[in-house]
Amino acid sequence: MLEKSDEKSIVVALAGPPNVGKSTVFNLLTGLSQHVGNWPGKTVEQKTGVLRRDSLTMNFVDLPGTYSLTANSAEEQIARDYLVKGKPGVVVAVLNAASLERNLYLVAELIELAPRLIIALNMTDVAQQQGMKIDYKALESALNIPVIPMVANKNQGLNELVRAIEHEFNWPMKSRDVKHVEADTEIKGVIDHVEGLLTDDSTTPYPGHWAATKLLEGDEQISKLVRQRLSPAQWSTLDSLLKENESAAVTIATLRFEWVEKVVAVAQEKPPLGQVSLTERLDRAATHPILGLVILLGVMGLVFWLVYSLGVPIQRFLEVSLIERTREIVYNTLHFMPGWVSSFLGDGILSGVGTVLTFIPILFLFFLAWAFLEDTGYVARVAFVTDRFMHLIGLHGKSVLPLILGFGCNVPAVMGTRIIESERARLLTILLTPLIPCTGRLAVVALIAAAFFGSQATLVSISIILFSLLMLVISGLIMNRFVLGGERTALIMELPLYHSPNLRLTLLVTWQRIVAFIKRAGTIILIVSVFVWLLSSFPGGGIEESFLAQIGRWLEPLGRLMGLNWQMMVALLSSFVAKENTIATLGVLIGGSKAGLIQALREMLVPASALAFLVIQVLFIPCAATVAVVHQETRSWRWTAFSIGFQLALSFSMAILVFQVARLAML
Amino acid sequence: MESERVEEYLEAMYKRQKTEIPVSTSGLAKDLKVSLPAVTDMLRRLESEGLVEYRAHQGAVLTARGNERAVSVVRRHRLWERFLTNILGVKWDRVHREACRLEHATSPETEEKLASLLGNIDTCPHGYPIPDKNGNIKEQEVMPLSKFEVGQSVCILTIADEAPQLLRNIDKLGLRPGTVVTLTKKDSNGSLEVEAGGERLWLEKETAVLLLAKLVSAEDKTAMAEEISISRLASGESGIVKSYTGGRGMLGRCLSMGFTPGSLVRMLENFGSGPVLVKVHDTEVALGRGIAEKIVVTRNKGVC
Repeated sequence: MLEKSDEKSIVVALAGPPNVGKSTVFNLLTGLSQHVGNWPGKTVEQKTGVLRRDSLTMNFVDLPGTYSLTANSAEEQIARDYLVKGKPGVVVAVLNAASLERNLYLVAELIELAPRLIIALNMTDVAQQQGMKIDYKALESALNIPVIPMVANKNQGLNELVRAIEHEFNWPMKSRDVKHVEADTEIKGVIDHVEGLLTDDSTTPYPGHWAATKLLEGDEQISKLVRQRLSPAQWSTLDSLLKENESAAVTIATLRFEWVEKVVAVAQEKPPLGQVSLTERLDRAATHPILGLVILLGVMGLVFWLVYSLGVPIQRFLEVSLIERTREIVYNTLHFMPGWVSSFLGDGILSGVGTVLTFIPILFLFFLAWAFLEDTGYVARVAFVTDRFMHLIGLHGKSVLPLILGFGCNVPAVMGTRIIESERARLLTILLTPLIPCTGRLAVVALIAAAFFGSQATLVSISIILFSLLMLVISGLIMNRFVLGGERTALIMELPLYHSPNLRLTLLVTWQRIVAFIKRAGTIILIVSVFVWLLSSFPGGGIEESFLAQIGRWLEPLGRLMGLNWQMMVALLSSFVAKENTIATLGVLIGGSKAGLIQALREMLVPASALAFLVIQVLFIPCAATVAVVHQETRSWRWTAFSIGFQLALSFSMAILVFQVARLAML
Repeated sequence: MESERVEEYLEAMYKRQKTEIPVSTSGLAKDLKVSLPAVTDMLRRLESEGLVEYRAHQGAVLTARGNERAVSVVRRHRLWERFLTNILGVKWDRVHREACRLEHATSPETEEKLASLLGNIDTCPHGYPIPDKNGNIKEQEVMPLSKFEVGQSVCILTIADEAPQLLRNIDKLGLRPGTVVTLTKKDSNGSLEVEAGGERLWLEKETAVLLLAKLVSAEDKTAMAEEISISRLASGESGIVKSYTGGRGMLGRCLSMGFTPGSLVRMLENFGSGPVLVKVHDTEVALGRGIAEKIVVTRNKGVC
């Protein structure tokens, strides 16, 4: 008990706009003590972490990156709800010194909600390169908020920040009275008028005056809340007052920016005019409609080439020396046990573990390359150049980013759709992601194509990938038009300055994605592997008599339409565990070694069937792990079922079509 | 040391010749803060070197060779001023004296490097044109603000004096070169009232005569008043945000991204279709065409 009361702790919320290095600051402060979860009721990541300094425990909460605190997006809603309900001891606003003017807008909003603020002015080196001079002392006294200049990715200023937090804990600031918006008496009158129409408890837990301002700004969340709590008569009076003052939103934002401009005028010497920055020069090429695309294709080509030329040998090595060897050991050491025990361990558990493990090198490299590109700032340009194409299917450029991630693995891609603000665009992107051929599918395509099409194998593989992307576009058109109602969303995003990436941060992001893959995909793959092993081992009497074979035979009539026998159907079904499982299943069903398998396949299938198999393989329902995250991210069984149904229909119809056409053509 | 003094004389003569030919010895003595006999001595020496023509009691004129050297000094001076403000961030009321010292110690290589570093900047911070490396100078057609009529819109191009106090005042008034103002009132004593960016400012005669400006044509004036959507700005053009035609949901996002009325938006890339890339409040922002069509701006014409 005594110890408990001795322990001092403070909750520190990190707020800030996107692209200011907030996650770097958070990572450096909390290191590996981080806990990553979701904000309650939201698919937005919540990160918390702890730092102990002397006898003080600082509990950091990383708020989502936001430009403002008006509920335009889930992120903004979360950030301000936390400020109001979480009551943090102090709020650290992490800002980018190179775009001080824009970033201070958030501070203008933060002051209204969080009286105890510290500003961590990050990237002061970038500001300097841009020719800006910031007088930190002047900024501090103009704002009446402590300002800590930092270069987080070079580890500068973090100690000072921690000291400022300690200072704040020991000598809390008096709440300050910054009324920048109310400097304008006309708008103050309107806000007071609105506040007067609110009842005492209609805005709890939000402060009444703040809520009145937000109502005038057209904040949907607050107006919904107030509407529910006021009587219809009270609401209609309020509503007509709000309608009279529709332009107040613009006035309030303008007043905040005017306040910002005054602060900036005191503290910052304007950057040189007429100087074209490096970022602008690079962007002339990177955002060009044609050159930009060429660069994008070049970059992606390089990424895939690097990933596969480095990753595949490592993958082979793991497969042969680790999984195969372990399996041998399992069989040799357990020979005294009943056969099903070693089979369960060797074929059920190990094949599942093996699938997860052998995929990690390729995924790791792919995620690393992508995190690297993200950190340089290039990824935002990818969204820009592809925006015009994505508009064709009712999406905008940001949706491309998770889709590209999908080439690595669909699981993080579906989770990556969180960057899209519009619910509708996000749903559509989630539904389309499984049509991106992931590394697992590509592995199967490469093997089958090599077995049947010899020197044409590469051409066939590429055609299958392009076919799959074409299906994505067509599906996008259909879903956008008929399922989601054809509304369009518009792109508005900041293109951050290019900068040299921070290795530590890049690795950390890669690590977090890999861990997420292992946690979500890994466990599901393992469970389903065991389940499939059960199906293939019972009721006994060899695989030919197993439940799995029975299901395959039952599906054979459907398979015949695309020239596939029951073994192929079973192989297809097993791709639900993990896409590359197809190969392993075929190995079990028709032949042991790889060379043997290729030979057996050639004898079993005509080229038209092989082509149909490739088509159905890339379009078939995604693996179980992907389905699980689709459900997790859409929070809807209906959309999950729709996703599965749509892909079943698409894959079977396309495969049948391809088989019938190819058979006629090849005759 | 010798050549530095020579250059100072040539530079001072070059500036005086704009309004006074031949240049009087007393004027030079005042500009250079030296005694009259010293000026006479120096002018004789310059004459013997073929840089000026000097006539006792009348004054002096630069020869072609003298003019060439003077222009070259002026070029270095103005390049240095730009370097000091734009690259080093020295305030514009302090750069004149620094540049006076640096201009004499500048080799042709350094001069070239300076020029290429500054790129296409062609005026000094006070608005005077920088001569090119062949000595050609793009003279501006400007008049003091006091000479224009009420109702006319003009663009301030040059500040004719580099006294620090004056420059600080001009900064405070927000009348740096490149500002468009409209004359609204003229007093008999020469002071006048102008409107700039919606604000009315009162200028004393002493200040008004030092602001050199160019008339903004009626055509440009209408082009600047016309309300268009951001998507109609061509790459390189800039505009001032006026209003929005979109719904409330979009409005909130535009406002928090900094597209508030009165904000300056510079179009970086506009290819006629697809998204556009603009710079607003120091940041590059990508706007889908849909949004770009809903933000209304007026052109900030490149008349200045």
